[in-house]
Amino acid sequence: MPNDNREKASARQIGAGWLGPRLDRLWDAIERPVEWLVRLCGYSAILFVLAIFVFVFLEAAPVLPKLDWYEFFTSIQWRPTSQVRVQYGILALVVGTLSVTGLAMALAVPLGLGAAVYLSEFCSGRLKEVLKVVIELLAAVPSVVWGFIGYMVVGPVLMETTSAEIGVNLLNGGILLALMSVPIIVSVGEDALKAVPDAYREAALALGASRWEMVHRVLFPAARNGLLAAVLLGVGRAIGETMAVLMATGHAIRIPQSLVDPIRTLTATIAAELGEAVERGEHYRVLFVIGLVLFGVTFAVNLLADLVVKGIGGEQGN
Amino acid sequence: MGSPEERYRIETSVVPPSHPGPGDWPYTSLRAALEALGRHAAAVQWTSGQDVYFDIVRQPPAPGKQPRRRPVHRFFVHLQAHGEGGDGSETSPWWGVRAAVAGLVELAELGEIELAPGRRLRLRHVEMFSASSLERAKRIKEVVAQAVLLAMTLMLVLPLAGVVGYLVVRAWPALSWDFVWQNPQDYMTAGGVWAPLVGTFFLVLGSLAVAAPIGVLAGIYLNEYAPDNWWTRLINLAVMNLAGVPSIVHALFGVGAFVFALGMGKSLLAASCTVAVMTLPVIITSTREALASVPMAFREACWNLGATRWQTIRTIVLPNSISGILTGVILQVSRAAGETAPILFTGAVFFVPVADHGLASLIPYGPGDRFMALSMHLFTLATQVRGVPESTQYGTAVVLIALVLAVNSLSIGLRMYFRTRKRW
Amino acid sequence: MEPAIRVEKLSVWYGRTPALDGVSLEIPRHQIFGIIGPAKSGKTTFLKCLNRTIDFVPGARVSGQVIIGGQDVFRMRDVFALRRRIGMVFPLPVGLPLSVYENVAYAPRRAGLSDRQALDQLVETCLRQAMLWDEVKDRLDMLGTRLSGGQQQRLTLARALSHRPEILCLDEFSIAIDPVTTMKIEDILRELKQHTTIVLVTNLVHQARRLADRTAFFHAGRLVEVDETEKLFTAPAQRLTQRYVNGEFG
Repeated sequence: MPNDNREKASARQIGAGWLGPRLDRLWDAIERPVEWLVRLCGYSAILFVLAIFVFVFLEAAPVLPKLDWYEFFTSIQWRPTSQVRVQYGILALVVGTLSVTGLAMALAVPLGLGAAVYLSEFCSGRLKEVLKVVIELLAAVPSVVWGFIGYMVVGPVLMETTSAEIGVNLLNGGILLALMSVPIIVSVGEDALKAVPDAYREAALALGASRWEMVHRVLFPAARNGLLAAVLLGVGRAIGETMAVLMATGHAIRIPQSLVDPIRTLTATIAAELGEAVERGEHYRVLFVIGLVLFGVTFAVNLLADLVVKGIGGEQGN
Repeated sequence: MGSPEERYRIETSVVPPSHPGPGDWPYTSLRAALEALGRHAAAVQWTSGQDVYFDIVRQPPAPGKQPRRRPVHRFFVHLQAHGEGGDGSETSPWWGVRAAVAGLVELAELGEIELAPGRRLRLRHVEMFSASSLERAKRIKEVVAQAVLLAMTLMLVLPLAGVVGYLVVRAWPALSWDFVWQNPQDYMTAGGVWAPLVGTFFLVLGSLAVAAPIGVLAGIYLNEYAPDNWWTRLINLAVMNLAGVPSIVHALFGVGAFVFALGMGKSLLAASCTVAVMTLPVIITSTREALASVPMAFREACWNLGATRWQTIRTIVLPNSISGILTGVILQVSRAAGETAPILFTGAVFFVPVADHGLASLIPYGPGDRFMALSMHLFTLATQVRGVPESTQYGTAVVLIALVLAVNSLSIGLRMYFRTRKRW
Repeated sequence: MEPAIRVEKLSVWYGRTPALDGVSLEIPRHQIFGIIGPAKSGKTTFLKCLNRTIDFVPGARVSGQVIIGGQDVFRMRDVFALRRRIGMVFPLPVGLPLSVYENVAYAPRRAGLSDRQALDQLVETCLRQAMLWDEVKDRLDMLGTRLSGGQQQRLTLARALSHRPEILCLDEFSIAIDPVTTMKIEDILRELKQHTTIVLVTNLVHQARRLADRTAFFHAGRLVEVDETEKLFTAPAQRLTQRYVNGEFG
């Protein structure tokens, strides 16, 4: 009978070795190859980043020496399919990207940081969990669905309520991008605030500060780096967004004069024209050059965010 | 001054009354009692934190009848502050006993204090910080700030609910099980979303089959094996940047690497690989976090028992982090299903003829075939095809967003479930 | 008789900071060898060198020799076999997130033992030796992490005994447990020393005095003095030792 107990105990063992001794020996035997494979996969991240750069570069390479770089960066004339004179100026596209990103950040940063502060300092328990789930689900909405909403819903609304001539425009894109960037600002921002030691909060409150004063006098400076990183990551997200801006900002390749002018971003240009361009022709390759530009810009923004978090290039929030 | 029926006495919490005996009613008028109170109070040793009260009680009407003797007027003294006195009411104290008594006498003469028989007047020393105007302003700012921040947070909740709700409402006429099971027909102006749905399913399967193993193993390397040197820092940087690459650049990479260089052509395989590279960094990061949540003490205990790193990982670390890894991978399912840009040029197309019934409708695409995908389908319906009824467009959006939200909710739910089953 | 452990000029650096500086001593067999000293004196580092878990500390550099059974541990090829010859108990009780049975069976299983009967017997023996058997014999499938602190520390001891070590090391084992469990474990140690060499690192000077046959005093990474326990406590050769055992610092 005592053996019975132990049999039962063994049968209900949690964890090690219960699949049987032979399997255990098998797991041990593959230790060497598994560790080798693990190492390989670990290195693969570098491989993939390099590969992305290399392959985009390779497709763009033939056209690089032939490109008029001055015109490329300073001209607003983007006429890749012109019968008269082919021009590849991306200035209007760059302005398009920057303006829609800037507008989106103007909306998303206060909203996102406000929500991050609320979740971190003024909220707890059930409500906090629910709100965090909601924000996570907001982040999960695919960009093509946002683009669809912008095209079908926000567009007509804007045409009714503002002086917009056409529903797909800068403002439309800005609103969508704001909604898409907010979740990452909230999540990284909340992490940054959570990382500030409680001692700071307690000290401030003991000195008679109200919670709001504690937040903007003590927490913001202390979490400055993390909050800045949150904003930068939001910027990176907005710059890189493709489908939503493709569907909701219009097709006008020009510098916007007002909030409700249609624009075109770098990302949307690639998405819209790659399918039409002659495969591996000049236009095609210039689109890859734009891809390189985008890669470089988002690389720089993410690098900056990483450095900011580590406290380089700014004082430590102490 | 004062009528024979009017008798008062002083009761205090601190100093025994100079006139013992419950039957003593030495003062014939309120004013006399107040003046005596002044002398009493001046003699009391006010100590910080001690609650001191003086009650002036008017004699109750008849010996047998003792009505409830609640204080009918309440005043308090705040001794700590300096400055002008208030009116002694409960919100605005007197600062100092002398000011208090003088004020009380004044109030009595003005007729503002009236004591019915049996009622009492209470003068109390309370230690407090009065709500100065500065503090009141602070409190208002705090409430306002909290309200504004709550509003900001709710502004994030509403779009989600609004979007989903609106989509469902507009899609309602088209939504039915047939919509899901049927293939698009009549140049996609009618019919359902079956072929795109199946395409998305295989796309997700393919991309995860590539990304999950590589990502999990890479996460294991980074958290369990990687030494603390510049090479590891470089890898971490690479993971972070991989996560930040725009989706259209992933598409360009896919075209350059998979469609052309590796010769896959525009196909399900090429698109799956492209999407795999896109979801890889997030799987790596979530795996690392899951592994890092297992306390170091467990690993050290195992090492001291003569276990190798791999033995420790497979017996203790992995079984206790598999839940976190799983939820991370499931999260990427929804991402892979929703992305459009990476598949635009690597294999997804507007239309591919697909059988309506039978096995071929369940597995309509081979790895080398072009395919339809739900995300691309939505894009196409909305922007490229004329004559598509709005409800069909909305219906497609609803199916896509429902799929994505369902998978995400599953992941979130699993996360919560596993949290309750923690083994330490 | 050949000492269980012979240490020769052992030095350890964490990056640039020295943690141990030229420590040389001998630990005789079948005794309790106490190591006392204030914080940051290198006691834990010393233990880590014995079973080569110093390998897991990033940036640690070692010079010198630790000779066990005639071989320098730093030249041994099978470091895992070495770790099975030395049992280790830590300051904070750690129950692995496995059943109690599997906790104790862990080391033997990793070493290749899979026979159910043998494992059952081994688990029972070790749990009895650790004075935990009676409390858990009906609950062998309970999660180790759900035991109390004192029980988890005895479980750690049972795990350390499960691979039949010739040397048992304890690093401030009593700081996180109740006095009753501490007394129980001290009794166990007195039992065990008949066939195991025990190295007892402790902050509690009186604990060393109670248990150890010989004691070494470490200070700032150096071995200050080592002698028979009574002699070290009553008539130490170094003033520093005198001051420490009198409680003047540390």
